[in-house]
Amino acid sequence: MRHLLLRIALALFLLLTSLGTIVALLWAPTAASGQAARPEAPARRSETPAGRSETPVGTLTVAVATFGNERWLPHLYVGAEDVVLKPLWENLLSRDGKGNLIPMLAEKWQVADGGRTWKFHLRKGVRFHNGTEVTAEDVRFTFASIAREGSANSMAPEFRMIKSMEVEGSHTITVRFDKPFVTLGNRVTQGLFASVAYIQSKKHIEAGEDGAERRPVGTGPWKFVEHVHGDHIVYEAVENHWRATPHFKRLVFLKVPEPATRMAMLRAGSADVIEIGGEYVDELKKVGMRTLTMPNTAAIWVILGGQWPTKPTYDPKVPWAQPDAERARKVRVALNLAVDKKAIIERVLGGVGTAVGTVNYYPTDPWISDALLKPIPYDPARAKVLLTEAGYPNGFEVTMNLTAWPGRGFLPDVGEAVATYWEKIGLKVKRRPVDRAVFSADFRARSYAGVALAYAGPIIAPEPWELFARIAQTKSAVHLLVEHPRLDAFIERLGAEPSAAERTRIMREEMGPWLYEYMPAVSIGATHSIAGIGPKVGEWPLIPGHMGVHNWEYVTRK
Amino acid sequence: MWRYLTGRVLQTVLSMLVVISIVFFLTRLSGNPVHLLLDVNATERDQQILMHHLGLDKPLPVQYGIYVTNIFLGDLGNSVLTRRPVVEHIWERLPATVELGLVGMVLSVLIGVPLGMYSAVHRGSALDTGARVFAVLGQSMPAFWLGLMLILFFGVVLGVLPAGGRGGPLHLILPAFTLGYFTSAAIMRLTRSAMLEVLGSDYIKFARLKGLHEQVVLWKHGLKNALLPVVTFAVMLFVQFLGGAVVTETVFAWPGLGRLILESITTRDYPIVQAGVLVLSALYLTGNLLVDLLYSYLNPRIRHARS
Repeated sequence: MRHLLLRIALALFLLLTSLGTIVALLWAPTAASGQAARPEAPARRSETPAGRSETPVGTLTVAVATFGNERWLPHLYVGAEDVVLKPLWENLLSRDGKGNLIPMLAEKWQVADGGRTWKFHLRKGVRFHNGTEVTAEDVRFTFASIAREGSANSMAPEFRMIKSMEVEGSHTITVRFDKPFVTLGNRVTQGLFASVAYIQSKKHIEAGEDGAERRPVGTGPWKFVEHVHGDHIVYEAVENHWRATPHFKRLVFLKVPEPATRMAMLRAGSADVIEIGGEYVDELKKVGMRTLTMPNTAAIWVILGGQWPTKPTYDPKVPWAQPDAERARKVRVALNLAVDKKAIIERVLGGVGTAVGTVNYYPTDPWISDALLKPIPYDPARAKVLLTEAGYPNGFEVTMNLTAWPGRGFLPDVGEAVATYWEKIGLKVKRRPVDRAVFSADFRARSYAGVALAYAGPIIAPEPWELFARIAQTKSAVHLLVEHPRLDAFIERLGAEPSAAERTRIMREEMGPWLYEYMPAVSIGATHSIAGIGPKVGEWPLIPGHMGVHNWEYVTRK
Repeated sequence: MWRYLTGRVLQTVLSMLVVISIVFFLTRLSGNPVHLLLDVNATERDQQILMHHLGLDKPLPVQYGIYVTNIFLGDLGNSVLTRRPVVEHIWERLPATVELGLVGMVLSVLIGVPLGMYSAVHRGSALDTGARVFAVLGQSMPAFWLGLMLILFFGVVLGVLPAGGRGGPLHLILPAFTLGYFTSAAIMRLTRSAMLEVLGSDYIKFARLKGLHEQVVLWKHGLKNALLPVVTFAVMLFVQFLGGAVVTETVFAWPGLGRLILESITTRDYPIVQAGVLVLSALYLTGNLLVDLLYSYLNPRIRHARS
């Protein structure tokens, strides 16, 4: 009896495993129930397609680290999804190769009342992928959705400042603000990372948000085909698109979290484009792969927590934020002098960056000057002298949080390098790996006095004060640099100045020098975004300062 | 038997309750998902609205009560991130995981059992030494490293297999081998030791004395009896593959359940983490229970000892 049962159990087991194998092998090509098959990446090194033709041909396969929140409604995506969302949608404006605002869905626009009134004239005849024409009502609906309560959209606070929106005819909309909003154009442009004011179809979304989430439509050069959460997103080229018909027929995004796998996929021809960090640039070159460099897309600095003297969590014992302004400044200067920024850029960031002396200023900005650009020199001896003068001859204890941010996985390494430099001048640095979700609460509560951490601010707005208004103004929801009445005054003044030339002057001659002198953080410099590209990919025009891969529709085939 | 069965089922249910309780409270210690869902400059009001929407504004014991009640009602909740039902996410990923787990397990058995058997039969031979080296390598090589090496060799250097992703049967080979190699080494060792024990038993000697053909002795009388622990191990292995293939799934960009749970941990998507762990622990505990019952049924000594 026992042998019989054993025999049955063994037979059943072998039968089931054999069946399972067969089923799995047959099943794989078409995937499983409720899930569409992942678009098959080429098993072998892909063949170079024939020369360029008018009709889109072939597939451009892109391996990225993350899809972000994977949401398709304007109040649900945050901005980090930029790379994978941008092919589908378009903004009212864009930026040209020099960074100037240019028309997109709006063919012209006017700014009046010192930046309080913005009038957009929409291009006629542009249609969503479901066939309906883009109208001013769609713009009003989109802006209202971004601003609605509970919205996750990173632009919600700014769009909530809209006082009224008036639709004139079907293709003109006037947006009014109580206070001047001189850089609204930078919020509604396609040409920046996380510029998620994409114009959505009111009709499509009002027909059912659930349906719109599962089958989004836009006006972009690529239409939605398929999305399997956490796995892949597939787009198809819109032929005869009003702006740019893509060169490739399909655009496939694969979520591949592991960078080494992305590298291997590029080399094997399973992916044509990969997101990659600077540390892989040398390796890519060694194996003969090309890189696409998007220069100066994020500014790196080390936040010195505690510089919020008006808040209840202010701690006067924090050396760099103590009430004695001169002593506090000496500490901040010492912390800057102690760090070799060029070495960090070379060794930690793979050489893809430029050391800059002023926080959130970039080498190519029109408001940069040689003096602002010049990195704070590496001078540990002088740093020790300053520390002694500030009353810390034996250094002090500091916590360095090692926190990674999406798309900026190098930050803990930068923090570690800075900690090591600080130790050389006598500081006792305690490393604390902290997840961003945990630390985000500290940002809001200003509860990290005495703690330092490396941060990289991507260019989500071209003018530095625009980012400061979000993260460094006394009234900002979060704090990531310094709260200071001078900086508040600069932000207020620049925010109300309609003349771009005058804003440039203020940033170059007043705000920049003040930041350089005050030294609120350890400014490391500007880093570049890097992508590895395979043999299929031809020319790729880029928008300056745009972090992350973009302009998919302009990528040519080789 | 029924008393034993009832006791084991109750134990299983209790274990699951403990597991989901631990997971529930641990995930809430790891940070608030609202901070990841909203942009850094979102207002307090936005946070409150989202917290309310997600039910995170309620006291922890209330949240726990709702969660447990909903589980008994068959509702695993919605994803914090995508706001889609968690069940949809699980079902979306489960086929890929089962596919990989099945093929990985079959590979382990197909490699491990014959190798273990022949290693036992030819004990001390070059084949035995080779098999033991194979086992040591398999158990000491990290899956992460092995996976990358396989990708580099077969995907990049030879260009014969895809470097990652899920697609046709070719996409299964490297991840399944990576997953299966480690366990095939364990199966090989298990089979070898079981076979050595069986081959030294009286009934094998008797079979040989009867003049039975050696192949019949080995395959029919030897392997069949040696396989009981191997079968048990393989079943548990398969269940482990369903949730424990995170490393392999990550290296090969395989869209499975393990990766879903890992990603959900990093995004604080509590409902998916909880549901994923619930499903995996249910599978594991049920597998354990079935094996126990099977053992108990097959081996009267165990049954009597337990009763």
